[in-house]
Amino acid sequence: MNNTLRTWIKDGLWAVAFAGLVAAVIRFASGLGAATGLTDATPWGVWIAFKLCFVALAGGGFTLAAVVYIFHIESLRPLLRRAILIATLGYSSFVVSLIFDLGLPWHMYRIVNWQDRSVMFEIAWCVILYLTVLILEFSPTVLEHPWLQHPILQKIAHWLHQLTLPLVITGIVLSTLHQSSLGSLFLIMRHRVNPLWYSPWLPSLFFTSAISAGMMALVVEGFIMERWFKRGMRFELLTLLGKWVPLPLGLYLILRLSDLFLRGVLPGALDGSWQSILFLAEIFIGGVLPLILLGIKKVRESRKGLLTSAVLILAGIVSQRMSLSMFTMYQAEGTHYFPSLSETAIALAIPAAAILVYLFFAENLALLGAEIPAPTDISTLDDPAAFAKQDTPGRAIFARRSGLAIFVVALALPLMFHPPANCNSQPTDPATLTKALEILPPSLLSSPASCNDRAATPVTPAKGWDVLTINGNNANYTVRFTHQDHQVFLTKELGSEEAACQTCHHLNKPGDQATACSACHTDYYQPQSIFDHTIHETTLGGNTSCTKCHSSVEHLPLTSVICQNCHTGMVPQAGQTAFNMFAPSYLDAMHGSCLACHIQEAQKQNKPELALCTTCHPNGQSQPNQTTANLPKP
Amino acid sequence: MKQVGLLVDVTRCIGCNKCVDACVMANHLGAEHHIPQQEADGLSAQRWLAIVDAPQGGFVRKSCRHCLDAACVSVCPVGAMHKSPEGIVLYDKQKCMGCRYCLMACPFGIPRYEWDSPTPVVGKCFFCYQRLSEGQEPACVEACPQQALTFGERSELLNLAHARLRQSPDKYLPKVFGEFELGGSALMYISNVPLDFLNFNGTLGERPYPELTWDWLSKVPAVTLVTAGLMTGLFWIIGRRMQAQLAGKTQTSQPPEEGK
Ligand code: SF4
Ligand code: SF4
Ligand code: SF4
Repeated sequence: MNNTLRTWIKDGLWAVAFAGLVAAVIRFASGLGAATGLTDATPWGVWIAFKLCFVALAGGGFTLAAVVYIFHIESLRPLLRRAILIATLGYSSFVVSLIFDLGLPWHMYRIVNWQDRSVMFEIAWCVILYLTVLILEFSPTVLEHPWLQHPILQKIAHWLHQLTLPLVITGIVLSTLHQSSLGSLFLIMRHRVNPLWYSPWLPSLFFTSAISAGMMALVVEGFIMERWFKRGMRFELLTLLGKWVPLPLGLYLILRLSDLFLRGVLPGALDGSWQSILFLAEIFIGGVLPLILLGIKKVRESRKGLLTSAVLILAGIVSQRMSLSMFTMYQAEGTHYFPSLSETAIALAIPAAAILVYLFFAENLALLGAEIPAPTDISTLDDPAAFAKQDTPGRAIFARRSGLAIFVVALALPLMFHPPANCNSQPTDPATLTKALEILPPSLLSSPASCNDRAATPVTPAKGWDVLTINGNNANYTVRFTHQDHQVFLTKELGSEEAACQTCHHLNKPGDQATACSACHTDYYQPQSIFDHTIHETTLGGNTSCTKCHSSVEHLPLTSVICQNCHTGMVPQAGQTAFNMFAPSYLDAMHGSCLACHIQEAQKQNKPELALCTTCHPNGQSQPNQTTANLPKP
Repeated sequence: MKQVGLLVDVTRCIGCNKCVDACVMANHLGAEHHIPQQEADGLSAQRWLAIVDAPQGGFVRKSCRHCLDAACVSVCPVGAMHKSPEGIVLYDKQKCMGCRYCLMACPFGIPRYEWDSPTPVVGKCFFCYQRLSEGQEPACVEACPQQALTFGERSELLNLAHARLRQSPDKYLPKVFGEFELGGSALMYISNVPLDFLNFNGTLGERPYPELTWDWLSKVPAVTLVTAGLMTGLFWIIGRRMQAQLAGKTQTSQPPEEGK
């Protein structure tokens, strides 16, 4: 890898981190709804799924600690520091991600209340304590840095060395507990988790898979670091990991399959659904295949073979965790979840930042070998002159990254920031709105809440008299409606002015005449109630009044009397009945009353332009020769 | 304190939604506030009670069941969801950290979240706890013109429910919904239509949900001790063996004793 490429990759990581920063601001300024795709039906999403993966990849920390300190397998010691650093970063990512995910993160200190029945309570404590242990375990490495040779610091380093064993054992216990508990988070979601991923043994599955993933993360990291720094690989040690990983991985597969088998769920894996295919791929491509590959000594000891197996195992385990907590979870309920742009940006920014921190430590500390490289040491590895020019920490790189930041922020802000969707129609008193919902036809109620499709759009009444300017949805695609001309034309056609008015003004509100369209058709897109149940009820005498309107005890709009029973002047148009029902949306109402007549007159008068959309919507979005006949019939 | 309860007689409900209005007024829930994240059933962070149409006809109350052994209470890491002495599931927004685990864990999908707020809280029925402490009935119960809702001690309500079932067996399905499901709940229904759509479809079983997690959590102390003991023991045993081996290598005349 040459230096230009390195700088570009780092730029990429920084860019992702900056984008995440933009998203973070949006997240905290406008709430989770504005920043994520989460809903009441799908309250957890990609952040949780990623968190599960961070912790899996961090599993190498306690595994290697156990191997080196407890099992005294000293040969693997050179990998230990890296394992600890990866674990520290994995857990830090977890915590950072949690801060975004929690609605009120500043209440986090409340976990001081003892809640022994909550898995999350246990996880929270384990993560906090283990992260502390990890930082303590890692700090001696930091304190080796030539800049930190102060006697007090060295004393601390010395104490920490003394504490290694208790720290290691505490770390192993905490990891064992919460790696397992992470799986048990989902035990109580039996109604949500797909049966192929659900298991009462989730704790054991998460534990074994975390050990495997942690070991394989070290292998992959070794390969990457070798390309990045041209050293630090220790291939023979990675092979050793490859040799031993079949133990936890095999255990994981056996546990997972035997549980499914014992509970009789396994046949579901063969039903051909995409979930079953994903499951089979996870088991075979991400589990059995690398198990076989690693079983063959020649494959294990070849660079390609080892790397391939490690990547496959990681993919399998990451897939298991993401499927469990995201992909297949909500499908089982027929709900859909898709992360929003800012949500994804935050999800990716956290690992990107973690990688940058990793690189920073790797460049400045003795991670990869025993010796402490001077910060400039790295540059001697590849073309030093070029490296010095392009990647020297300093003004040049600062300027470069600032430019990048400005660019990314400018790009991300308009993409991610949407002003909060305002789904409220006119301020309605709550009781009326409840009534409105009651009166809506079931078809509308069964579609996800009206706002899922389209924000409510209050109608602005038409303005003017002889010529009405209709700007119903306030989008400035105005229609100039020649009210006077229509009146004259219809009077001529129908023979009386009264009949002309009634053609369009089919209902009068009580006490009104020729009520304007917008009085009842109050929403541009959605049907609205025209009936205020509460007012009627109160006026008629409260709870005793039901039977004044409702013929049967069944309390439905349909069992009530029609409006003009009492409001005699309400219906001017012959053949019209006023029910206490909903009024169609403004758009439907307008098209409904205009189109039929326009199409008819276009033929009768041989004026095809009468049926063109552009006749009424000159500055609309319609095609020049689109005719109204193509519109869906109201 | 005795466990309180609320019995819903679905056959009596005429769907007038007065209970919803009363709930809104009593708990100052404010005007309906449509957000894209909410569901079609009418419940939201500002609507704790909804009357939904049963697929087979009829109006059915949907609100928190106040499960006797509630999933939401067991999962809450900070104790924001907690039980009152009367067995009412209360929510304390001063404690909630917004993890939404309660939304995930509630088998009936009841708690809802304030997605559009930078300081979001969870919303769900709390049996008008403040009214109860003032000696009043819950607002919805008081408002119902049909006496479809009865509030009282759970055991008495169960007697009442069974009495109604016995009295007019052809009017009701022979079952008190919520008596045993997932360990039972304080909100119970008697109905003439199946309530499968409220997750009363038998698949959830009668074992309280929190026990699913307790199976593991109860083992945590043991796992802690065993791991700690095992690790210390292994460290010591293996360490000694290796020392013995080293010693054996240096003093070849004295082979290390096997099995120690
Ligand atoms: S119905 Fe849901 S929210 Fe209500 S007590 Fe039961 S688990 Fe908790
Ligand atoms: S969202 Fe609040 S009430 Fe619900 S589990 Fe989390 S902390 Fe508890
Ligand atoms: S008991 Fe109170 S909070 Fe619960 S639904 Fe009835 S009115 Fe609302």
